[in-house]
Amino acid sequence: MTRVLVVLAITASLGGLFLWGLLRGSPDREVESARLNRQVISFDLPLYPRFQGTFGPTLNLATELNDKPVIVNFWATWCGPCYDEAPHLQAAWQRYQDDVLIIGVQTQDRGKRVEGEAFLDRFGITFPNVIDDDSRVSIDYGLFGVPETFFVRRDGTLLYKHTGPITLDKLEEKIAELTAS
Amino acid sequence: MMDVGLGPLGNAALYLALAFSVWGIVAGAIGAIRRDARLLTSARLAGVATFLAMTASIAIMEIALLTDDFSVSYVASTSRAGNPLWVKMVTLWAALEGSLLLWGWLLSGYWALLSIVAPNSPLRAWALTTMAVVQTFFVLVPAVIAPPFEVISPAPLDGPGPNPLLQNHWMMAVHPFLMYLGFVGLTVPFAFAMSALLSGRPGSEWMLQTRRWTLIGWGFLTAAIITGGWWSYEVLGWGGYWAWDPVENVSFLPWLTATAFLHSVQVQERRHMLKGWNLLLIILTFSLTLLGTFLTRSGVVSSVHAFGDGPVGPAFLTFFLIVMAGSFGLVAWRWDGIRDRADLDHPVSREGSFLAGNVIFLAIAFAILLGTLFPLIVEAFTGDKVTVGAPFFDQATLPLWMGVLLLMGIGPLLPWRRANTQTLRGNLAWMTGAGVIAAAVAYAFGLRGIYPILTVGLSGWNLASLTLLLLGAVVPRMRVGTRSVVQVLTGYAFENRRRFGSMIVHFGVVVMALGIMASSAYRIDEQVRIEVGDTMPFQDLTFTVQDTFMETTEYRVGAGAVVDVHRDGSLLTTLRPKINTFFGQSMNVPTPDVLYLPLYDVYLNIAAGVTPDSEFVVLRVVRSPLVAWVWIAGFIMAFGTAFALIPSRRGVRGTQRAPKGSSVA
Amino acid sequence: MMRRVLLLALIALLAPLPTGFAQTDDTVAMGEQLEARVFEISRKLRCPTCVSESVADSNAGISIEMRNEIQAQLQAGASEAEILAFFQDRYGDWILLEPPRRGIHLVVWWLPGIALAAGVIGLTTLMVRWTRNAQQATHEAQADDADLARVRAALQGDSETSS
Repeated sequence: MTRVLVVLAITASLGGLFLWGLLRGSPDREVESARLNRQVISFDLPLYPRFQGTFGPTLNLATELNDKPVIVNFWATWCGPCYDEAPHLQAAWQRYQDDVLIIGVQTQDRGKRVEGEAFLDRFGITFPNVIDDDSRVSIDYGLFGVPETFFVRRDGTLLYKHTGPITLDKLEEKIAELTAS
Repeated sequence: MMDVGLGPLGNAALYLALAFSVWGIVAGAIGAIRRDARLLTSARLAGVATFLAMTASIAIMEIALLTDDFSVSYVASTSRAGNPLWVKMVTLWAALEGSLLLWGWLLSGYWALLSIVAPNSPLRAWALTTMAVVQTFFVLVPAVIAPPFEVISPAPLDGPGPNPLLQNHWMMAVHPFLMYLGFVGLTVPFAFAMSALLSGRPGSEWMLQTRRWTLIGWGFLTAAIITGGWWSYEVLGWGGYWAWDPVENVSFLPWLTATAFLHSVQVQERRHMLKGWNLLLIILTFSLTLLGTFLTRSGVVSSVHAFGDGPVGPAFLTFFLIVMAGSFGLVAWRWDGIRDRADLDHPVSREGSFLAGNVIFLAIAFAILLGTLFPLIVEAFTGDKVTVGAPFFDQATLPLWMGVLLLMGIGPLLPWRRANTQTLRGNLAWMTGAGVIAAAVAYAFGLRGIYPILTVGLSGWNLASLTLLLLGAVVPRMRVGTRSVVQVLTGYAFENRRRFGSMIVHFGVVVMALGIMASSAYRIDEQVRIEVGDTMPFQDLTFTVQDTFMETTEYRVGAGAVVDVHRDGSLLTTLRPKINTFFGQSMNVPTPDVLYLPLYDVYLNIAAGVTPDSEFVVLRVVRSPLVAWVWIAGFIMAFGTAFALIPSRRGVRGTQRAPKGSSVA
Repeated sequence: MMRRVLLLALIALLAPLPTGFAQTDDTVAMGEQLEARVFEISRKLRCPTCVSESVADSNAGISIEMRNEIQAQLQAGASEAEILAFFQDRYGDWILLEPPRRGIHLVVWWLPGIALAAGVIGLTTLMVRWTRNAQQATHEAQADDADLARVRAALQGDSETSS
């Protein structure tokens, strides 16, 4: 009888593990950022010409953090979900640009300058956008794909990373946390 | 008649099959309990009837595929009107629903065959009933859980075609088919093992009756794994054939336990021990085929071949748990009747080496299973996401593989019960000598590193062992007769098909070990950019990019480069690597081109998009030594298995004719 | 929905890079030795945008960029451990195809060895027991011989008395 119970116990524990796996859904997505609550790595990237009037030829994250907390959004022109979230980011920018700086980073999209301009035009984007042509910064931020959005506190630590297209609600929630901290 | 669509017709066939297989369970179980001959005959007929109904459903699906009937859901989601005939035919197993239908059909074929040919023994009734239980699950899946015959109304005009990775190579027509034949083949010994437990006859009968089935299942599984690797090599574009991806791992697990089983049943056959162990092994093997299907069809572990979510995962999980609890539970419950008083004359004997081999095979299987499940386990307990990849599996299993090679050399030379110390010493001296010489030659040729040299040394050790085995068989026969060496050798081979077949398979393993060692340890990868018209040296070769091209067929567009490969100034071949884009699919499929040579392969793959007016191409160049021998080894192993399976003129040696008590070496 | 969107993004990433392949000029000029080291190290890293493929095996844009990064760091004199730590610092343990030998990862490194040891010990124990069984069996057989001898002696005695 003990033997039968052992068999049943093993079966049940395997079953439990796999059931948990089934309920969790597919793996690998939405991996927590390795730099959560740690310093993010600063970057200094060339801006799209339309923003150079305000910020100069390049934009430095560390410098900007002196003023406000920063939201860094990574996007690419081939990325469908990026088109979905762009209006939300623009809306958040219009509402909260006094509290927070939003930076768009075009990444993993080498040489797509014309397409990038078209992307910015299409959504009338007014927050600064920089170009990460060799995808170096996307390595620094441990990007698994685009879009991903990073919420950086004024002290340069990472509050939260969002994987996939972000919504205005989520942006507002996290902006509140950013400004409170 | 014509207003009944193929979808409802196919479903009708499946429901019929479901009814027959359920009847197979009911009639089989009641017939076995009441010993009712009429019910048992009815249950056997149910097996044949299920096979006929399943055949009808497969035929209907093929008709739907070939006639582009897009009102059938499976055709609509995986076929395409413009595809060539062979692609349409194999589209049957290019996606989940169809491949499970194929599995159900092949299983019903084995069940029907077993119903007809299985000898009328007390084991037959419960064995067929177990087959019926498994069959019921595999009919339930296409009939209810993942139905391929749903009616789509209005029918779309065309479909997207199968996954481009699958239609890009003919090997895909073969690999899944072989895999399912293997899985299904191993269901037969499982069914007989369950019957042995249910009917209270856990002796050796079940195992003797299914020995050939086990070998058939094992042979197909071996062939399936190797063709899978070959497909990966030819299609995935990274120049390798085994990535330790979860899908590969889980197809390998039942192979490992089945290999252990193949060896340990011989101990039971000769020495009447390990009854319980063999029952556990075959149940484990069957459970692992279900577990593998669950893991890869549910998205629980991440894999290149993940199929996302759907009801198939939970269904396989449920069935896996039922089989686990039911069959292992049955063994546990009956354990007092199963355990035997084993005796071992000496650990250094055939049985001793087989047992040691069993431990190693199971250790390999354990390491692979653990590595595959570890990310899931860690995430469940800590929430962390971790990765266990190829470097782990290499490091965890390589020492064990060396152990396998070591034992493979000794085992077949050892006699049953007890080795003669003097003969053993002589044999070991020869083998060690050969091994050391081989290793030294390898070193002289520039091989470095412990595993490459060990592999070559152990190959020498094994070749010496095989030579000694052959000499031991041929020399005494030469002494007594006047026949030539060839006559004696063929005579020996055909009189001892199982033994000779196993020698061929072991030889194949040696060849494979060398191929895997060379192609993984001495592989050279490079990414090069060559202007069109330019020449670039690479090792002892030169590549000249003649041109780029774009070709359009009625179902795909391919864009690639024409590359001449020269060695010592003479043209070896012209390779045409390209990237295919299939109509109806968004994904681009790299299509490498390979120059197969005995000493090394040259593998070219396009690494960045090419257009007809490109001024340069970016190529991934891989040069893998001896990789072709991996496939040749696969053929050798398959041939050896087939050779062992051909019934000899004198009938199968010592199986049905020696039911008990014969332990003559 | 979300999953589907990500999948689309993934497919787009898996698609080969269009054009503009500036770095590869250097790649050509690069020594074979260095190239071999780059592939050796990148074989230990997981391609972040692919599904279970290594950075060495993948041709995704990010993998090419990661190989360039490895190459640059090697040229700057970084060791393999430093390069792996660089990526792990950014991506977490997830990026390492070879689980690090610390913390919970030790389980996956140690358990196969423990299982093998348990198997070997178990088999040895069984073999010792079985060999003893066999010896007992021969022992019993010897007792039979003794019995036989006694019978034979008795028979001989019989024949002696009878003759």
